[in-house]
Amino acid sequence: MTTDDYNYAVFDMAKEEPVFAEFSKSVSAGGRAPSFPLEDLATGEQVELRSLWKHGLAILEFGSFT
Amino acid sequence: MDDLADRYADRGVTSVFIYTREAHPAENYRHHRSMDDKRRNARAMVAHTGLRRRVLLDDLSGTAHHGYNLLPNMSWIVGRNIVLYKAAWTEVHDIENALRQSLDGMDRRQTDGLRPLYTERVAWRPNVADEFRKGLERNGPQAVEDFYK
Repeated sequence: MTTDDYNYAVFDMAKEEPVFAEFSKSVSAGGRAPSFPLEDLATGEQVELRSLWKHGLAILEFGSFT
Repeated sequence: MDDLADRYADRGVTSVFIYTREAHPAENYRHHRSMDDKRRNARAMVAHTGLRRRVLLDDLSGTAHHGYNLLPNMSWIVGRNIVLYKAAWTEVHDIENALRQSLDGMDRRQTDGLRPLYTERVAWRPNVADEFRKGLERNGPQAVEDFYK
């Protein structure tokens, strides 16, 4: 998927439904949690996702304003 | 979710909001063509909602979003590098239930020798259709048209 495809300008339900269908096939509970670099909105610093659960549990909510 | 984060912060639980692509872009909040677009929309969200948790931005390609399978408002609980909970939508009561079970299980792993058990289940969430439509209207007329066509 290209960056332009990922950041679609028009929501298309027909493209969304297969994503929901595939969710159960993604990383399972009990599986290894992937880690990626993210940018802290407040500071601009790069944060490695795995640092969030280094010393305890982490709750990750994914979302957007829209 | 912010209140949940506050309730469990002293038990070593870190709670974050990972900002992805715009799920329903429209005239007022457009799709991201740059990280500046993403930062702008994320700041608007924080200002509008009063969100108190740390906000982390995924890259423009959605690398982390892809890695966790792309749903628009999913939630996960991770501990010891292992996925302990994943949900297709964010429903705070279900997340808290799973969180308490995870914390209890990890504590009792030490004291009672408990071992992890894989389960699957269907959970339930409120119907928020009216609130959702208001959100689309806030985004702009295109968001309403795109969703209901």
